[in-house]
Amino acid sequence: MFEIKDLKFAYKKSVPVLKGVNLALEEGEIGVLLGKNGAGKSTLFKCVLGLLKATGEILFDDKDISKASRTERAKLIAYVPQELSFGELTVFDSVLTGRIARFGLIAGQDDREVVNRVLEELELTHIATKNVNQLSGGERQKVAIARALAQEPQMLVFDEPTGNLDVQNEQLIFGLAKRIASEKKITILIAIHNLNFAMDFGDKFFMMKDGEIKHTGGVEILNENTISDVFGVKAAILEAEGRKAIVYGG
Amino acid sequence: MESVATNVLEVQKKMRIKKAIIISSLFLLTVVMFFVCWFVGVAKMSVKDCFEALGHRGDVNDINALIIWNTRFPRVIAAVVAGAGLAVAGLIMQTTLGNVMASPSTLGVSNAAVFGANLSIIGFAGGFLSSGADFAKTVNTFNPFAVSLIAFLFSSASVMLVLALCRIKKFSPNTIVLAGIAIGAIWTAGTTMLQIFATDVGLSAAVIWSFGDLGRVTLTQDYIMLGFVGAAIILFFCLSWRFNAMLGGDNIARSVGVNVTALRVTGLLVGSLITAMCVSFLGIIGFVGIICPHVVKKLLGHNHVVSIPITALTGSLLLLFADTIARTIANGIALPVGAVTSLLGAPFFLFMLFTAKERV
Repeated sequence: MFEIKDLKFAYKKSVPVLKGVNLALEEGEIGVLLGKNGAGKSTLFKCVLGLLKATGEILFDDKDISKASRTERAKLIAYVPQELSFGELTVFDSVLTGRIARFGLIAGQDDREVVNRVLEELELTHIATKNVNQLSGGERQKVAIARALAQEPQMLVFDEPTGNLDVQNEQLIFGLAKRIASEKKITILIAIHNLNFAMDFGDKFFMMKDGEIKHTGGVEILNENTISDVFGVKAAILEAEGRKAIVYGG
Repeated sequence: MESVATNVLEVQKKMRIKKAIIISSLFLLTVVMFFVCWFVGVAKMSVKDCFEALGHRGDVNDINALIIWNTRFPRVIAAVVAGAGLAVAGLIMQTTLGNVMASPSTLGVSNAAVFGANLSIIGFAGGFLSSGADFAKTVNTFNPFAVSLIAFLFSSASVMLVLALCRIKKFSPNTIVLAGIAIGAIWTAGTTMLQIFATDVGLSAAVIWSFGDLGRVTLTQDYIMLGFVGAAIILFFCLSWRFNAMLGGDNIARSVGVNVTALRVTGLLVGSLITAMCVSFLGIIGFVGIICPHVVKKLLGHNHVVSIPITALTGSLLLLFADTIARTIANGIALPVGAVTSLLGAPFFLFMLFTAKERV
């Protein structure tokens, strides 16, 4: 189980960005973080990843990892960013960088086997020797996920992973993430802007505003009132053939 | 799926073979160039004379042995070591600063070394204790080791100063580059001030010192450089995968377990100290640290496991080649090797830049 308890962070003391965030996710559960730009989602992710030092607790199975070393943290949590950058490396080498926390200085045969297995699972084997920078946006996003999976983490953090992708690739990446959560029992914490995708995708929702989580729960918490409160827009929930869709305005 | 995996293994095997062939060829070429650089020079000796002289080390009556062992051997060793060191320092600077324009001197080490050397030559008449800038003292007390030592002390102090300042901004790459330029400008201004007060002899000595020249090096200095540059390249090679992770940006590198700040400071400090040592012993040798990493990255990609050893070999090869040209082209006058590296390197680099196919 992954838990965040009373997490607080401020870039300047007088302006707190996170004002005591609490959230919990079970193993293999997908938690979707929703909120306007500037609500504190990216800062929360950076605190979870250890890129920023916050006060409060970050717990894995009741063990506080907020003071764990970078290597220990990398074995537990992996990151898939929105802006992808790899350098001029092959797909295989890019994914192998995900093993650094495991191998230390020199990559061994077992690390190469893990990479080969991950590439196979994500159907990237045929492009393993290609330069990542010559791939399409969707393929590059899959390589970023493969790099994260090569860390063999207990949790994946996705920061708006489909922001630069077309609808087809967006569906492909979300489908992949869902498969990873259910098959590998990896907990996922993800920030998504598109509420309709979020509804289809998440198990648990955390609606964030001004550095606090205002609403927590299942898909039922996404309604006209909470959307208006968190995003400041009018919305209507339409239902057809057992599926819900959010329509804005009106 | 199995056939796809088999194909990929085949391609990976072919890539490994290709890289092994390139490394072996470069190594062989460097060995050949080492002997060419050793055996060719102002004194026209036949290959047979050269090989015979190899067996007469220490024989003060054999003029050929003296030329081969006392004059040429230290400079070819310097070419191999300084070429490898400067090229790898350039590569690591470019990676740690995420800046393709970064060079071994980005932190202002060369400017600081030149200031230190000028201070020693002009201010202390080329020694430690003498003072004044009169002709007799400059001629009589000039001590190359003192000049190199003071140049090294100033360039090391400059690196420490830049890094200490940048600690305030958490070692942000852009801040480091700009701080390096600013501190370098201060040293250059100081050098100009010193030169205003120099005698003609002192000024000439100071200016000539700053030309990159392998001829002034001693075997002891070679061994000091070899020890430091060798250890630095081994250290960088061990950190190859961490540098690879850094290519994806600081946040990605941190998320896979890399201590980015420590890696950046280590890379900049060790890379700058390599440069400081080479400049202090040999003067300024430009362009090796820019051209070699770029050519290697363009041909073989950015994986540091491959690019660090190949960049080192390429640097040695370029400096051996440039030194051979520098000593043979001007009919008895050895040109500054620093000028030859740029003169030969820049057109080749431009050719590569505009004609080489992008790596797959």
